[in-house]
Amino acid sequence: MTHRKSLLAVLATATLASAGIGHAQEKPPVKIGFVTELTGAWSFFGTSCVAGLKMAEKTLNPPGKRKIEFVIADDQTSPAQAVAASRSLDVQDKVLALSGPTSSDTGLAVYGYAEQNKVPFVVPVAAFPQLTKPGTRYTFRLEPDAVGWGYAISKFVEKQKPGGKIAMIYSDYALMRAITAGIKYQAPRSGLKIVADIAFPQGSNDATVQAAQILAATPDFVMVSGAGGFDNTITNQLLDLGIKPEQIIHPFGITTQVMNWGKRSVGSYYGTFFDSNLDSLTPEGKTFVEEFTAQYDRPPSYGENFCYVTANVIREVIDANPEAADDREKFRDAMSALKTKEKTSGIPIEFDKNGARMEYMYFLQMKEVTAKTYKAKQAFYIEWDPEVIPVYTLVK
Amino acid sequence: MSDANLIIFLSTISTGLILGSIFALVAVGVTIVYGSIWMPNAANGQFFVLAALLGWTMTVSWGIHPAIAAILVIGVSVPLSYGLEYILVRRFYDVPNRNISYFVLSLGITQILTGIFAATYGRWSDQFQLPPLVSGITFIGPLPVANNRLMVLALALSILAALFALLRYHRYGRAIRAVFQNRDAAALRGVNVKASYSLSFALGNAVIFAGGILFALAYSFDLTVAWTMSITAFAIMIIGGPGSVLGAVIVGMVFGFTQAAVSTVASPTIAAFSYLGAMLLILLFKPSGLFAR
Amino acid sequence: MTPVTEKKDLSLLAKGHGLPLACFAVVAFATPFLLSGNRYFAFVAGVTMIHILWASGMNLLYGYTGLMPLMFAGLAGISAYTVVGLTASGWSFWLALPVGALAASISGIILGLPSLRLKGFYFTLCSLVIQTVVTLGFIYFSGLTNGDTGISQIPLPSMGGGQPLSGLAYDLVLSAAAVIGVIVLIVIVKSTLGRRLIAIREDDELAGMLGINVTGYKMIAFFIGSLFAGVGGALYAPYIGFISPRSFDVLISMNIWLMVAFGGRGTIWGPVIGAILLAPLSFLLQEYYTVKDILYGLLIIAVIVLMPAGIAGGFLRKKKESAPPLDVPATPRGAK
Repeated sequence: MTHRKSLLAVLATATLASAGIGHAQEKPPVKIGFVTELTGAWSFFGTSCVAGLKMAEKTLNPPGKRKIEFVIADDQTSPAQAVAASRSLDVQDKVLALSGPTSSDTGLAVYGYAEQNKVPFVVPVAAFPQLTKPGTRYTFRLEPDAVGWGYAISKFVEKQKPGGKIAMIYSDYALMRAITAGIKYQAPRSGLKIVADIAFPQGSNDATVQAAQILAATPDFVMVSGAGGFDNTITNQLLDLGIKPEQIIHPFGITTQVMNWGKRSVGSYYGTFFDSNLDSLTPEGKTFVEEFTAQYDRPPSYGENFCYVTANVIREVIDANPEAADDREKFRDAMSALKTKEKTSGIPIEFDKNGARMEYMYFLQMKEVTAKTYKAKQAFYIEWDPEVIPVYTLVK
Repeated sequence: MSDANLIIFLSTISTGLILGSIFALVAVGVTIVYGSIWMPNAANGQFFVLAALLGWTMTVSWGIHPAIAAILVIGVSVPLSYGLEYILVRRFYDVPNRNISYFVLSLGITQILTGIFAATYGRWSDQFQLPPLVSGITFIGPLPVANNRLMVLALALSILAALFALLRYHRYGRAIRAVFQNRDAAALRGVNVKASYSLSFALGNAVIFAGGILFALAYSFDLTVAWTMSITAFAIMIIGGPGSVLGAVIVGMVFGFTQAAVSTVASPTIAAFSYLGAMLLILLFKPSGLFAR
Repeated sequence: MTPVTEKKDLSLLAKGHGLPLACFAVVAFATPFLLSGNRYFAFVAGVTMIHILWASGMNLLYGYTGLMPLMFAGLAGISAYTVVGLTASGWSFWLALPVGALAASISGIILGLPSLRLKGFYFTLCSLVIQTVVTLGFIYFSGLTNGDTGISQIPLPSMGGGQPLSGLAYDLVLSAAAVIGVIVLIVIVKSTLGRRLIAIREDDELAGMLGINVTGYKMIAFFIGSLFAGVGGALYAPYIGFISPRSFDVLISMNIWLMVAFGGRGTIWGPVIGAILLAPLSFLLQEYYTVKDILYGLLIIAVIVLMPAGIAGGFLRKKKESAPPLDVPATPRGAK
């Protein structure tokens, strides 16, 4: 039912390489179901994630260790398909755990299935807070929740300009609603004023008038978050009207987006959880960036990183707890007790009782955009407890 | 009027003009096809996005100048239309009340194109942005407008004017109208009905393609624009009166301004609701539209 | 007597469903047991049962009454959201189900009102706009529907004794729903109501002149058809465990329509066959995800171009020289 394409090749190589070494190889591989967006609206994110996963697989199964096999299934960016794929992976492929969704909609769909059917679920890139709502038992999320991003943005603006004015202009998607809910909660507490709040329905095409409204509100900073290509439209129209790049904050910057904003946006800020320009890259992180850039002609961003890290976290948990490889409850307990660091950036990974991570966010300022890469400088870093603001009641 | 309010006011007008002229173009394309062969082409939004995607590939991947790419894209629509007409569309010319068959047919085409786009372009769906036709910025009062946008506006308006003249004064346009009003009588008067059909189908689609490529030149886009555009073009055609080019132009412009103005005073979501609502009302109370011929 | 009774092929269609019905019921109830060893295939079969119910409802409207309502999935969604909302606030699923279904029916009557004035393409377009508005509504009123995030972890209905209705038991409920749906459709088609609906489909002006209350009967058709949509939607939500506006969007309406048109509209068994063939497709084709939409599109075009009467229609009418055109009789330009 699912894809095993290059995994087979990896396995074949690994088997050849390790033939005769160690008895661990005799056990069947540990299967992880990877439900992600290979087609549909969110496919640019799902395919990036799989690219990160493939990078991890190159070194994931050294000889002598229990093999980990990712069974990739497409959910077509459709929650119903995500549930069907989860069911197929659970029942047909008998996977140990699920992982993979990069959109909050499909993530929540898999979440429902995983919690109901007691399948551990490692979420690489989906930020909707309800994925780790109180009472969650089987789900663990690597990406900080989006309401928290709103908190971090407010803190960033508070630092840059105490008492400043924020405007928000965004597409009306679950993710953006969560981010803005965080800003709306935290901004007044940080002494900031929200001077404009403009949401676009899905499939919008023009933002000139709204950009003019933003301009009229004379904000110090504008939080811009359009869906897909519309993000460029909003950004360009703000710049056209004379908003300075230094006033623009994108809550998240993935490589393709940063490149799309282009030279005009040099000076603007974006939030992220991993970037090729981070000061704190580990040697493995640098290798990851180099190899990824060589293969895909662009640096990886946090999506690729979280999927890369997901594979490594699972490796680590199984290595430390061999009995967890065949038992979902034990795997779940081992995940819950995990204390480690991201191999690429050294950021700690630790889950609270609901599977939410101790959260963090970087803000980078764009310095230069060239044909295949870009330079950015770290402007702000913040860590916080996931429940520093009431994330689970702010968005339902 | 303060400077800020003046900017909002002027930007409402400029947006209304640009969006309105693109809406009008697509709606005119749809209404030409419906007006001649009774095909309500629900795939118009997919054609629109196809043009934009082709333009993106030509300019960004192949490095062709946007102006040449635009002409090539519109050129591509001609063999495409004739091919579709030959394989599918002409089968229904003699079916009574064929508009619903065509409608469903075009929904099928919509689904095929959606599938093809998802499989081929889906992974780049966050980066569709074309290089501008011309660079620079012009100030209209306090409002800066990109020259590129002004160029797109000028092109859209000139295509509309040319179409209008063609349909109103040229022999071909008169033939189309004659066929729409009474096919048999037109045939008796010596109009080649089948040829006029395929020509109208090609012309209508070329106009939709022109709308798509101009839109792509003015705005970045993604694949969801297709469905929004389909519904919008249908709403314009229904309100303006199916088959009425004048109606499509006027209502298209009104829609552009409505979207700009309603989103200023209310919200962009309310703007989307408002013209769906307008279409429902017209459908229920004056299905022949406001500018019925 | 309506003129329809003289059309022998149509009245024949309504007779002699005993044997196929018995076969269908046996298969429907046996399937969950046969597949109980594999929850995945059992799940696909369960979803297919819901689609059989939906296709039968769509068939009543499209096949027998001659209206093509593209807001059908929206109606199912109204019921699903109602049921999920009510159960979340403490209602029993079994109480919420009839309320949700009724909500869908009443919405169906209201949203079906345009069919009194519009026919053919114009009604279909209108229903498409309504579907779009309903979908936008599901997204916009996020207080009730949780917007496009959707609602996950929908609890399973409980059986007597507080046990959740899961696995085999739920599958059997879905089989029962599909079988009952088909029986109801057979009963309707055989009754005076069915004959009058067919008369309206064939020519509603003539039907009106013959003294049939066209308005009333169209509304009844919408009430019952939407009831099918509503019951299916209510059962769908806890079965999948997740609903979002996209679970009930225009593509779903199109797919249900395709099941009816592909199987053969205006026959009892055609749409059932259509649902059995097409509903599992999206699950079984998961490996060939890129071609799924394209395949559906090609099927739609094939139905329109090659077999306007569908599989069953083509089979039953093979002796006739040509299949009837797909569209319904309508005044020029579709509107009265």
